[in-house]
Amino acid sequence: MSQDQSSQNQEGNLQGSVIRPASDEELSVAVDQAFDYRGDVTIELKSGESIVGYVFGRTHNDTRAELELFPTDKPGQMTIQFADIAAIIFSGKDTAFGQSWETWVQKKKEEGKK
Amino acid sequence: MAVPVSQMWTVSSYVIAQKLKRVKRYPLVLMLEPIFRCNLACAGCGKIQYPDHVLDRRLSPEQCWAAADECGAPIVSIPGGEPLIHPEMSEIVRGLVERKKYVYLCTNAVLLERKIEEYQPSKYLTFSIHMDGLRDEHDLAVCRDGVYEVAVKAIKTALKKGFRVTTNTTLFNDANPQRVRAFFDEMMNLGVEGMMISPGYSYDKAPDQHSFLKRERTHDLFSKLLTNRKRGWQFNQSPLFLEFLMGKRDYQCTPWGNPTYNVFGWQKPCYLLQDGYVSDFATLLNETDWDNYGTGRNEKCKDCMVHCGYEATAVEDTFSSWSGFAGTVKATLFSNAT
Repeated sequence: MSQDQSSQNQEGNLQGSVIRPASDEELSVAVDQAFDYRGDVTIELKSGESIVGYVFGRTHNDTRAELELFPTDKPGQMTIQFADIAAIIFSGKDTAFGQSWETWVQKKKEEGKK
Repeated sequence: MAVPVSQMWTVSSYVIAQKLKRVKRYPLVLMLEPIFRCNLACAGCGKIQYPDHVLDRRLSPEQCWAAADECGAPIVSIPGGEPLIHPEMSEIVRGLVERKKYVYLCTNAVLLERKIEEYQPSKYLTFSIHMDGLRDEHDLAVCRDGVYEVAVKAIKTALKKGFRVTTNTTLFNDANPQRVRAFFDEMMNLGVEGMMISPGYSYDKAPDQHSFLKRERTHDLFSKLLTNRKRGWQFNQSPLFLEFLMGKRDYQCTPWGNPTYNVFGWQKPCYLLQDGYVSDFATLLNETDWDNYGTGRNEKCKDCMVHCGYEATAVEDTFSSWSGFAGTVKATLFSNAT
């Protein structure tokens, strides 16, 4: 698997990563990561097309290997076959990443000192 | 009595009917999430971290009613997100009430006074107000000052207009038992019908990962809260579930008891974990590998004691044996002496 990460990436955050799976196993892991990611991803298809959206489901068993996604540019949902995927780019902001709790607690502490 | 007799009768007859039909897995409470967008960003919440185009999606009234019909649970809980943001929420509620579902509309109450005229008081409708403690604790938990006062004012308004009102409280590891007991007094003094309490679940996606309760700490905290409880305190939940929180009972999770439906579909396996979605309720029940979940079966379930997993177990226990039934009666009548 080749994985590039942008300079903005922080430990444990996939934001900015580009994954080009070299095998079915690597693809399966990459799709699981996309499913767990709380931001939009860009799916590069082997056809050359790119689809941007939020991955909310994936099925990988003996009969089906596909992911489900809410595209950013239209209503409804899409299904993409694993076999059609060339790369997964974690292009959108990871909305679950951040330290808002710590920021809030710090603010409260500072207010208490006044 | 915290839960009205008509509601108890509906739930009892429903559970007994399931048992007579020898249904092994049945839903008790539909967790209906018509919208993920919220007007707060509470530190312990892992429900709202999505891109804007997902937060902008919402279930239609027809989708909500179809889910309730498909599921068949006698109770529908509407959490979120903040349900009152949904522009068609009153219509959704009206349709559920027409179906004689007992609806718990879970809200932080920030918009309640502005929206309350859209709703009609009914024995089927309860405003379940998110309150995580007294003023300081609540405002800290919801990460915004002043929300406690807004919620208290909204509670008073809703009660004055004749609505059923309960509170729902999530407790974390920094909870001070004396302060929480004082909070119980405060809520009952406001005149709410009852309170719902639960330990928080450690969402992977929640900003605050340090404050979730471990199992032993949960037993200790809830024992301190609920032993020698005051006569006036009413809890809008199974007395056996409260004993479970105190460590007096050992239960396994029944995640199918509170199935979750939202903009993604039916969520596998439960309200808290997201292992994927299916398009219909029958598939959720029949194709989820339930043996993979619950205490001792899944690392993510290790410390979970949340009501959406275990309250249905407690209700099942009540109707599964004479000892469970007797335990429920005893806990109901003599809980203040426990």
